[in-house]
Amino acid sequence: MAKNLQEEDFTRIIKFTPPLCKQRYQFIKDLVEKYKPKKVADLGCADCTLLWMLKFCSCIEVLAGLDICASVMKEKMYRLSPLPVDYLQPAERSLTVTLHHGSVAHKDPCMLGFDLVTCIELIEHLEESELRKFPEVVFGFMAPSTVVISTPNSEFNPLLPGVKLFRHPDHKFEWNRMQFQSWALEIAGQYDYSVEFTGVGHPPTGMENVGFCTQIGVFIRKYPQTGELTQSEKPAEAVYKTVFKAVYPSLKDEKYLQNAVVGEVIFTAQIIKQSLLDRLMSEHEYDDDPTERKSKFQPSVNCFSEDLGKLVVGKSMEPFVNGNAVYIPLKTIFSFPKVNRLCGTFEKLCKLIAGKVMLSSDGSAVVFNTECENEEK
Amino acid sequence: MTGRARARARGRPPAQTTAVPPVGAAAVQQTFPSQAPGRQQPQQPCVPPSVSAEPGGRGQHRGPVGVPQQQGRRRPEELQVTTGFQELSLADRGGRRRDLHDLGVNTRKAIEHVQESKTGSSGSIIKLATNYFRLTSRPQWALYQYHVGYNPEMEARRLRSALLFQHEKLLGITHAFDGSILLLPKRLVNKVTEVFSRTRNGEDVKITITLTNELPPSSPTCLQFYNIIFRRLLKMLNLQQIGRNYYNPDDPISIPNHRLMVWPGFTSSILQYEESVMLCVDVSHKVLRSETVLDFIYSLYYQVGEERFKEACAKELIGLVVLTKYNNRTYRIDDINWNANPRCTFRKADGTEISYVDYYKKQYNQEITDLNQPVLVSQFRKRGGTIMPGPLVLIPELCFLTGLTDKMRSDFNVMKDLAVHTRLPPEQRQREIERLIDYVRKDDNVQKELRDWGLSFDSNSLSFSGRVIQGEKIFQSGKVFDYNPQFADWSKETRGVPLISSKPLDNWLLIYTRRNYDCANTLLQNLFKVTPSMGIRMAKATMIEVDDRTEAYLRTLQQSVTPETKMVVCLLSSSRKDKYDAIKKYLCTDCPIPSQCVLARTLSKPQTVMAVATKIALQMNCKMGGELWTVDIPLKQVMIVGIDCYHDTASGKQSIAGFVASLNQMMTRWFSRCVVQSRGQELVDGLKACLQTALREWFKWNTYLPSRIVVYRDGVGDGQLSTLVNYEVPQFLDCLKSVGRDYNPKLTVIVVKKRVNTRFFAPSGTSLRNPPPGTVVDVEVTRPEWYDFFIVSQAVRVGCVAPTHYNVIYDTSKLKPDHIQRLTYKLCHMYYNWSGVVRVPAPCQYAHKLAFLVGQSIHREPNLLLSDKLYYL
Repeated sequence: MAKNLQEEDFTRIIKFTPPLCKQRYQFIKDLVEKYKPKKVADLGCADCTLLWMLKFCSCIEVLAGLDICASVMKEKMYRLSPLPVDYLQPAERSLTVTLHHGSVAHKDPCMLGFDLVTCIELIEHLEESELRKFPEVVFGFMAPSTVVISTPNSEFNPLLPGVKLFRHPDHKFEWNRMQFQSWALEIAGQYDYSVEFTGVGHPPTGMENVGFCTQIGVFIRKYPQTGELTQSEKPAEAVYKTVFKAVYPSLKDEKYLQNAVVGEVIFTAQIIKQSLLDRLMSEHEYDDDPTERKSKFQPSVNCFSEDLGKLVVGKSMEPFVNGNAVYIPLKTIFSFPKVNRLCGTFEKLCKLIAGKVMLSSDGSAVVFNTECENEEK
Repeated sequence: MTGRARARARGRPPAQTTAVPPVGAAAVQQTFPSQAPGRQQPQQPCVPPSVSAEPGGRGQHRGPVGVPQQQGRRRPEELQVTTGFQELSLADRGGRRRDLHDLGVNTRKAIEHVQESKTGSSGSIIKLATNYFRLTSRPQWALYQYHVGYNPEMEARRLRSALLFQHEKLLGITHAFDGSILLLPKRLVNKVTEVFSRTRNGEDVKITITLTNELPPSSPTCLQFYNIIFRRLLKMLNLQQIGRNYYNPDDPISIPNHRLMVWPGFTSSILQYEESVMLCVDVSHKVLRSETVLDFIYSLYYQVGEERFKEACAKELIGLVVLTKYNNRTYRIDDINWNANPRCTFRKADGTEISYVDYYKKQYNQEITDLNQPVLVSQFRKRGGTIMPGPLVLIPELCFLTGLTDKMRSDFNVMKDLAVHTRLPPEQRQREIERLIDYVRKDDNVQKELRDWGLSFDSNSLSFSGRVIQGEKIFQSGKVFDYNPQFADWSKETRGVPLISSKPLDNWLLIYTRRNYDCANTLLQNLFKVTPSMGIRMAKATMIEVDDRTEAYLRTLQQSVTPETKMVVCLLSSSRKDKYDAIKKYLCTDCPIPSQCVLARTLSKPQTVMAVATKIALQMNCKMGGELWTVDIPLKQVMIVGIDCYHDTASGKQSIAGFVASLNQMMTRWFSRCVVQSRGQELVDGLKACLQTALREWFKWNTYLPSRIVVYRDGVGDGQLSTLVNYEVPQFLDCLKSVGRDYNPKLTVIVVKKRVNTRFFAPSGTSLRNPPPGTVVDVEVTRPEWYDFFIVSQAVRVGCVAPTHYNVIYDTSKLKPDHIQRLTYKLCHMYYNWSGVVRVPAPCQYAHKLAFLVGQSIHREPNLLLSDKLYYL
């Protein structure tokens, strides 16, 4: 009776904010921010929530998920697809997200070369035989520079309402801190990793001795990456089945870079053209609408006009009108920061826009025909 | 032009407007701005685009089951009913799952004389191809619907789902489940199956799976189910969902001149049509902008300056749909909050306060660089079952614009550059459509999914025969003209022929600015040249020079307009809308005189100036009450009514219904009124009053009341049909009853819809062409529960012609379908601003014009003294 009452009390007390699963994911996110891994794999990715969170981390270029259950992955995998906006404004970095269907007890070459491998609440779902193979697959074969393993801390269970044996019916075991740490230390020793223990889900005051609700081991590989070695060890066979793959548009891809550059060049050229024409017009005609443009709202708007003033200095860089055509030297366009940043070099700029933008006969300037536009109006 | 604004408001791509009729197209470029295209910003206030457009979600895989869910929740009692399930009113479901196809509305059953047949007979037969594909299912195919109960009760849908699919062996992997209703392609052995699952807390749960229904292929639930499945397929093909449709991001067409990007894609729907369940696929183009809302705000600031900046932002942005950088949702901008910025905080679900900057940084790794930008506000929407509390705040820097702004729409160059990519000729359109079907048939995953459900699509699109009604004879002052049916235009034929009735232009003002003195003279001279042959008597105008300021125009009007003034012509030098609005407002309300605004630029080209003057002369004559031509209308004592709506969300948030009614047998004179109302009000009451005054006016003109009334009702949004049937029609009847006890005219109400995805192609040799004007289709692709038909009335020069859909929702006329179809087609010949056939019956086009003028410029009901003239042309 007394015991029951006590449990009742805790049911009210034990409520994690943010929820424990979020805390676990946040832990990984913080780790990613810290180590800036380029390739991250999540083993037991389930509904891909962690992968989805990680896709926003700009350091990551390769994301992979692995799960034994294809349908749970499929349920929400489309949220790993690029968004329309990713196409509208391709990112600097490249990003590929792949989901594999398979078991952590099997080796597949697609899991080689990762910087960080996470196993969040995974090992307790493994059958004994799988658990035995797990260290060799992850630490021996995949051998990433960092591995994170989280699992329930069974010492905390008495504080959780309704937990009789395990927290989830599919759990094959739940370890106390001692059990987990000795397992982890043994692996670390065997595969030349160091390991540190931490956790998420603080125990309530007065019960600190039970430790975190979720215990976490962070393994760091002690030896440097030996890319060549893994290549030679590469097993020929792929055993995982790819269920999803998304390649994000990136400026590293020539196609997207070209689109972006052509777009930016034409847009920039038009701004220059317009301001040139406006200037010419205002010299000739009475200005219809002379509004003073001073304001508190000082956005980077003025950069257009200011940049123009600053940038268009050299005589060779000045845009000019000849007959019905407006010529805007590529050099001028190249001096705009956005174009500059995209192309890097002037030669690259010329190469990228070749055939895509109307140029003067010597190829040094963008040409607009002013006549035809007015004609149509 | 007519369908454009709504199309935009619903986030539809311009592809839908490709076949916009040439209504007033010539005039569009010549006289300003009553014809300026695409200035309209209407919005069906109750059809927010993103509501239905919400993707079931990248994040929340709600798709397949949202529909039954609502049925299940709302009407648990229905679940027990096996027969009669199809009667489930789908129309009354609100919110996100609006019935956009007006599925539950069966209007044909109440119209006695079309029970047997609703097809017409006249015209010549034409072979037609379409964009429809039959959905086929195995013989005896059925979808099995189960109710799933939990004991003890489980609340969370995900948990319910997880518990249920611990029994995948029993249920199979092909399923759709929404937490309470389960759909399977197979029948479980027992009617009631009990299984046990265990929660992660070790609690045992009894799950009872009860067969509630065997759904035949055409049941509404199945239809919704098909649509969901098809969307799954599109997703599998890696198409991106934006709004309601799916687009292919791999080959975008970029138009860097305007920072636009066009994604080709598809719009699709699966419905029960006349003979079978079919998939309708059309090519759709999504216009996206490679700039953020913040970029846009910056450049706007640069363009308009401080003073009009905020107003300009509101005008350009409100009503637009944006995409965010961090999720795949679309939001409509309802307001801009200049008092807030990204540093403001909000309360998260867990109760903690966080600033927008920090939130987006933390959650999505999105940097907000401009901390002084205002925030965008998107009004609260109901999403699925959960209610989003309060308005949603969006950060301009993290939002991308979609679609076109009004300014772009009125920019000829933008539209021209777009048209190149979006106006696909029939052949190419059909090819794109077939490509999708090909993908569907070739993709293994897609095929597997379809096989698992026992469904497949025909590989060839549906083709059948339609009819082409003969062109009408145009009567003008005792002369009869035929026109070339291919072009559906008789401007050449009737040039220089006297009008039926011409109003003398003997006391009129011509107001111009000094700069336009030459233009004014040019106009005058050319009018003198062209008017005599039309039979218009014209005197020299009172020429008045004004300063180019709005107030100057107004003062001149106040001083110079006399009771004898018949017409005021204003020559404007720029397309500044405020001047136009002020002039129209004054001359339509305070001082009711027909007026004509002309943009000086249109008179600047010597080679076209005669044609322009001709147009203006005709238009002015109509505005003063003159009559141009007519067609033969055998039906006697009939009053034709046209109604269209304009929804203004940008300012005022009001809706305007334009109402016009014919006054004479020849359909050359029209009475008009309009109803202005604020958001949320029903149009019905106002329309009733309109009909009453129209009947009174008719009586004045004819000394008797019409024995038949035919109402063409345009401006009905998707899913609003039941409102029309249940409220508007009864109000019309009420109104007629109130006229007198013995008065019992025959009433026909026809809903006109321009924005349909149906396309017809006419095979010609090995190629496909647009079907000729006059093509009528009343088989196969119509709906069995409606008395409906399609007419292609207009001719288009580029792209695909869009047929107009007519749905007779109420009819006591006993007129044969053939007669209704012919009458409708005849009326498409009667729009005086275009000497050709237009896309909708003239009364609809007039009503549209009126509502547009009032909504854009006048904002209140014009003076009734003008009501018997086409002053709004």
